[in-house]
Amino acid sequence: MTKQLLVKDPYNIIITGVGGQGNVLASRVFSGMLVRTGYRVTIGETFGMSQRGGSVMSHIRVSAAKVWSPQIPKGRADLIVAIEPVEALRVLADYGNPAVKVLVNMRPIYPVGVITGEAEYPAPEKIREAVRSLSALSFFLDATDEAVKLGNPILGNIVMIGAVAGLGVLPVDQGVFETVIREGMPASRVEANLRAFAIGMAVVTK
Amino acid sequence: MSIDKQQREGAEVLLMGNEAIARGALEAGVQVAAGYPGTPSSEIIETLSRFAEPGKLYVEWSANEKVAMEVAAAASFSGLRSMCVMKQNGVNVASDFLLHLTGSGTRGGMLLVTCDDPGALSSVNEGESRHFARLMEIPLLEPADFQEAKEMMPWAFTLSEEIRNIVMVRSVTRMSHASGNVVLGALPQPGGKGEFLCDGKISDPERGPVISAPVVEKHRLQQEKIRKAAAIFETSPFNAYTGPERPELLIITSSACRLYSDEAVSLLGAEGRVGILKLGTTWPIPPAYVKKHLTTTEKVLIVEEVLPFLEEQVKILAAEQAREIGIKTFYGKNDGTLPMTGELNPDLVAAAIGRILGIAPATFPAVYNEKLRSLAGVVPQREQTFCPGCPHRATYWSIREALQRDGRNGFVCGDIGCYAMAVLFQAAGFHTAKTLHAMGSGIGLASGFGKLGSFGMDQPVLAVCGDSTFYHAAIPALINAVHQNANVIFIVLDNSGTAMTGFQSHPGLAVNAMGEAVPMVDIAAICGSMGVKVVSGDPFALRQTRETLNRLMEERGGVKVLILKQSCALSPEKKGKKQYLVRVDEHLCRGDACGCNRLCTRIFRCPGLLWDREKGKARIDEVICAGCGVCAGICPAEAIRCEEAQVP
Amino acid sequence: MKGNQRSKELAEKESTPGGQKELEDAVLKTGLCTGCGACVNLCPYQAVYRDRIVTLHHCDLTRGRCYDFCPRTPADLNTLQEACDVGDDLTPEIGAVGGFFITRAADEKIRRRAQHGGTVSTLIALALREGLIDAAVLAGEGEGLLPQAVTVSDPEIAVGQGKSRFVVSPTVAEFNRVNRTDCRRIGVVATPCQALALAKMRTQTVKDTQSGIEKLQLVVGLFCGWALSWRNLTALLEKKMDIAAITGMDIPPSRYHTLEVYTKKGTVRVSLDEVNSCVRESCRYCGDMTAEFSDLSVGSARLPEGWDTARFWNQVVVRTKRGSDLLELARSKGVLEFREVPAGNLDKLKAASVNKKRAAASHPSGPRSVVDKMGQAG
Repeated sequence: MTKQLLVKDPYNIIITGVGGQGNVLASRVFSGMLVRTGYRVTIGETFGMSQRGGSVMSHIRVSAAKVWSPQIPKGRADLIVAIEPVEALRVLADYGNPAVKVLVNMRPIYPVGVITGEAEYPAPEKIREAVRSLSALSFFLDATDEAVKLGNPILGNIVMIGAVAGLGVLPVDQGVFETVIREGMPASRVEANLRAFAIGMAVVTK
Repeated sequence: MSIDKQQREGAEVLLMGNEAIARGALEAGVQVAAGYPGTPSSEIIETLSRFAEPGKLYVEWSANEKVAMEVAAAASFSGLRSMCVMKQNGVNVASDFLLHLTGSGTRGGMLLVTCDDPGALSSVNEGESRHFARLMEIPLLEPADFQEAKEMMPWAFTLSEEIRNIVMVRSVTRMSHASGNVVLGALPQPGGKGEFLCDGKISDPERGPVISAPVVEKHRLQQEKIRKAAAIFETSPFNAYTGPERPELLIITSSACRLYSDEAVSLLGAEGRVGILKLGTTWPIPPAYVKKHLTTTEKVLIVEEVLPFLEEQVKILAAEQAREIGIKTFYGKNDGTLPMTGELNPDLVAAAIGRILGIAPATFPAVYNEKLRSLAGVVPQREQTFCPGCPHRATYWSIREALQRDGRNGFVCGDIGCYAMAVLFQAAGFHTAKTLHAMGSGIGLASGFGKLGSFGMDQPVLAVCGDSTFYHAAIPALINAVHQNANVIFIVLDNSGTAMTGFQSHPGLAVNAMGEAVPMVDIAAICGSMGVKVVSGDPFALRQTRETLNRLMEERGGVKVLILKQSCALSPEKKGKKQYLVRVDEHLCRGDACGCNRLCTRIFRCPGLLWDREKGKARIDEVICAGCGVCAGICPAEAIRCEEAQVP
Repeated sequence: MKGNQRSKELAEKESTPGGQKELEDAVLKTGLCTGCGACVNLCPYQAVYRDRIVTLHHCDLTRGRCYDFCPRTPADLNTLQEACDVGDDLTPEIGAVGGFFITRAADEKIRRRAQHGGTVSTLIALALREGLIDAAVLAGEGEGLLPQAVTVSDPEIAVGQGKSRFVVSPTVAEFNRVNRTDCRRIGVVATPCQALALAKMRTQTVKDTQSGIEKLQLVVGLFCGWALSWRNLTALLEKKMDIAAITGMDIPPSRYHTLEVYTKKGTVRVSLDEVNSCVRESCRYCGDMTAEFSDLSVGSARLPEGWDTARFWNQVVVRTKRGSDLLELARSKGVLEFREVPAGNLDKLKAASVNKKRAAASHPSGPRSVVDKMGQAG
C-alpha cells in the first residue's frame, strides 16, 4: 500500500457510543485499516466500566510519521462518528470546532435517567439541528435499522465505518476493509460485514 | 486487532499497550507469568495465556497478587524468566512478599508489571505503585509509547538478571488501554529447564537458599544492585531528549505524560522554545544524564502522574549539584502548576506551559462558543448501572426490601467488583451499600461492626463479596468474624467468574487460565468448614432471598453466610441468550397511577425497561432486555409477562 | 354539609398534598401508626413486617391512597358517618347506638373456642352461611404472639378464629389483597382503627384507582382499649414464660389490673403496669374504644353476677341497618342467645369510652390536630 499525505496530520477521529454497541471493535477495525495502509495510529480508549451503560469514546489519531497522545486535545476533533445520537452532542461539547465533520447513527439508547422519566432525551430533529449548527459537514444514518435488516444490530458500527470510508477524508477503501475483516473474523461473518460497510459507504457518497 | 501466533517478525501491527507488554515478554522468552485480574492490567495475562503451552510458557490467574508474585518468584529461583502482573493496588497486596523478595534477590529474570490508574477511571483509588520501587529499592521502568512497551520488556529481563533482583515495569491506563503501531520482533526458541539449586551455602547466590537474611548484609547487597542499575540507566535507550540545545523550558516526563507533553508543545507551536527529556528509567533516575540536561536551562517543568515522584528526585539531584548547575526554577505538582490529583491530558499540560512562557491558547470564534454553550442541559447524563439481567440488581433489591422491613437501619459493607457500584451510583444498589475499600474489606469491616452490639448498636450488619474476591482476600476476614463471633450476614455474590474484568478464571472454576481442567475449590464447603450456618439461594428468586435475609437478621450472634449464585449476564454461557421473552401487558400496567407509580422504570431501573411517556405505560426494549424475567416479580399488577424463550 | 360546600371541600382536599411523604411525616415517623394495614397491598411501596408498617421504596406521588385511607390522617367525620350509613341515633360517647344487647353463641362449642361469648364468630359464620358475604377477613392465629390476617370463606373455619389478639393484625392489608380476587361480598372483623380505615376507603378522594371498597358488605367492630407492640410484648413475656406454650390471653375487668396469660402449664398474671409499657404509642392517641364506624360492635360483657359469668357473654352495639338485620337474623335462626341488659350497662360503657377519649385528647405529646378530629366523633 502506498502512503498518501493526510489532509491534516494528525487527523483526529472520535468514535463514540454506549457500552455494548461495538465501539471498541469499530475503532480497532478502522485503525487496523489505517495501519495496514502504512499510517501510525494511536487509539485512546476508556473502558473497564463501559459495559455497564456508560458512554464510550475512542480517540483515534492518524499520522504519517508520529505517535500522538491517546487523548485528543479539547476542541480538536476532525471527525466525530457517533453510534448513538446524544453521544454526538456530548462529544461535540468537548471536542467540536467549526471545521469538524460528524456522522451520526440516529438509533437512540436511552440513559437510565430517561428510562425512569427523570431526564428528557432530545427530539431527533433537535439533535440534527444542533449537530448541523456545530459542524462543517454532517450525515445522519439509520445504521442500526440497516444492520437489523442484515440480521444483527451490532453491525451498525460497521455501517458507520463504511460511511467514514465514503467521506474520502482518509485513504481507506473497501479492499483494505475486506483484508482486515478476513483476518480478524470467522469466514461466516465476512459477507454481512462487507454488505454493512457498503451500505454505509453508499449513504455518504450518493 | 490483537496479536496471534501467525504474526511474523518485522510485521507492523496495531497493539494495545498491554498486548505490546505481553509481546515484549514473549520476545524475551518469559516462561512463567502469574497475575490477578484488575483493570487496566488484565489483558497482559490474557494475551500471554493464548501463547501458553506446557514446557514453554506457564500462565496462571492466581488467587491474589501476593500469590502471583510468589508463583513467579519460584520460577525465577529455578532459573526461569518470570513475571507477575497486577493493577496498582495489587502491589499493596503483594508488598509484604516483595519486601522480602528484594532482600533475597532473584535468579532468572523477574519482572513486576503494574498498571496504575491515574484518575481512577476504573478503580476506587488512584494509588501510585511507583513509590514501591523507591520504598523497596528496586529499579523502575516506564514505557512512553507502544513500541517502547514491547522493547522495554527484554531489556528489563536482562537488567533483572544483571543485578539479580526483581525489576518493576509500570504502565498507566492511557498506555495499557491505548493502542498503537508496533513492529514485532522474533519469538525465541523455548527456554531452559527449571531447577531450584539449593544445596549451597547461605552466602552462595547461585546455589544457596534464597532468603533475605542475614538481613543487613543482604540489604547492603541490594543497595549495591540499585547503584549498578543507576549506572546502567545512564546509557539506557529509553531515555531521550528532543528539542533545542538550550531550551527556555525543559520538561522532564515519563509514561503517557510524555505524549501529552509532546502534544502540548505542538499545540502551542513552542517546539523552538521547549525541550522534552523523556525518562524510561524513573527510579533511580540516572544522575549524570539528568544533570547534563539540567545545565541547559533555567526553568524545569516536571510532568507526571500522579504524585511528584520524578519531581522530588530531580529536585534532590539539583540540590546536590547546585554548585555546578546553578539555581533552577521548578514547576510541577508541588507549586500547583499541574494538579496533584487526577490524570493529566494535553490541555492541562499546554495550559501549564502557556502560563510559564506567556503563550495564550488558541480560541474559537465567539459565535461558535455561544452555540457550544447552548448544548448545556440538552444532553442527558448517562449514569452507570447494573447491566440488564445482572444478578446484582436482583440481589440488592432483595437486600433493600429486607433491610427496610427489618427497620433497624441495617447496612451493607461493600467490596470490589461490579457490585461496588451499589456504593458509588444512585442507579445501582438501591442505597443499601455504605462502605467500600480494599478487596475483602467488606467482611473485614463487618467483622468489626458485628462486635459493636455491646455498645448499643442494633443495626443488622451485612457484607457482600464476589466469588473471585472471596478467594482473593475475604477468607482471613471471614475466619476472624467467625472466630470472634461477630454478628454478621455475609453474602457471597457468586456469578461464576471474575466478571468485572472479563471472566478470568478463579479457584472456584474447573478451568484455569491455560484452559486446562483443574480442581475447583467450593465456597460453600470453605464456609461450612468454619462451622457457620451456610444458606444457598438464587438471587432471581426475590421473595425467597428477602425472606431468608429477614430470617437471618432475626437470628442473633455469629456469622451467617448466604451464597447467592447466578451467572453474570455477560458471561459466555448467557450472553445473547434470553431465558424469557418479556413483554408488558398494557391493559394491566398501572403506569404512574397510585398503586404503582412506575416501580419498574423509576425504582428498579433496569435498562431493559422503558417508560413510554405518551402511553403512560412501561414497555420492554427487546434489544436491550436480557430476558432474565426478574422484573416480572416486582410488578404489582402482574403486567410484566414472561414466556419461556425458544432455544435456537 | 351538602351540595356546593361538599364539593368545594372535596376539591380542596384533592389539591392538598397527601402521599407517601406526608404519611411518613404525619403518621409513620410520629408513632401514630396503628398497624391497621390500610396503606399496604395497594402498591409495592408499603409493606407490613411483624406488626409494623414499613416503607420499602420512595414514592413521589403527591396524592396517594396510603395517606387517604390511613385512619390517622385528617378526615371529616360527618362525611364518614354518612358513608357508613350509621343511624341518626348518635351519642357523643360511643357513636351511633341503634340497639344495645347482651348476647352469646347458642352453640356451646363455639363459646369454648371463642374469647368470650362467641358472638363475633357466630355472626360471621351466619353471614357466610346465609350468603350475605362470601369471604370474611379477620385476625387469625399466626406465629408466636403475632396474629395473621386471614380470609376465610368456610363458616366452620371462621368459628375457630375467635380468640382476642393483643398485637395488631394488618387486617385492612388483607382486605386490600382479597378484594382484588374473585370474592364479591366481603365482611371484615375490625378494630376501631381498622373500621375507621375502611370507612375512609368509602370516601376515597384519589382519582383513577379502584380500591374495591364496594365489595365491603359487613364490618363487625371490636371493642379495643389498646394493642401491644410485638417486639416489646415478646421481650416482656420471654422473661416470664415459654412463649411457645402460650394458649391465650385475656384482660379481666379493670379492678383486677392484670393481663392473664394462659399457658399449657397454667395461668400467669402480669400486672398491667408492666404491660402498659408495651402499648403501641399510637393507641395512646386513640379516642375510639367501640369501633364507631362499624355495622355493629362487639366487646366483652359486664354483668352483676361477676366476671366468671360475664366472661362468657358479649355486649353488642348495633349501628347500621345492616348490623341490625344481621343480629335479628341470628335471633330468628336461634344461633345467638340474648339476655336482658342490666340497668346502667350502657352508661358504664359510655363512661369507659369517655375516659379513653379524654386520655387521648390529653396525651402529652399527642399531635393535637388528629386528636381533635377524633374527638369530634360524637
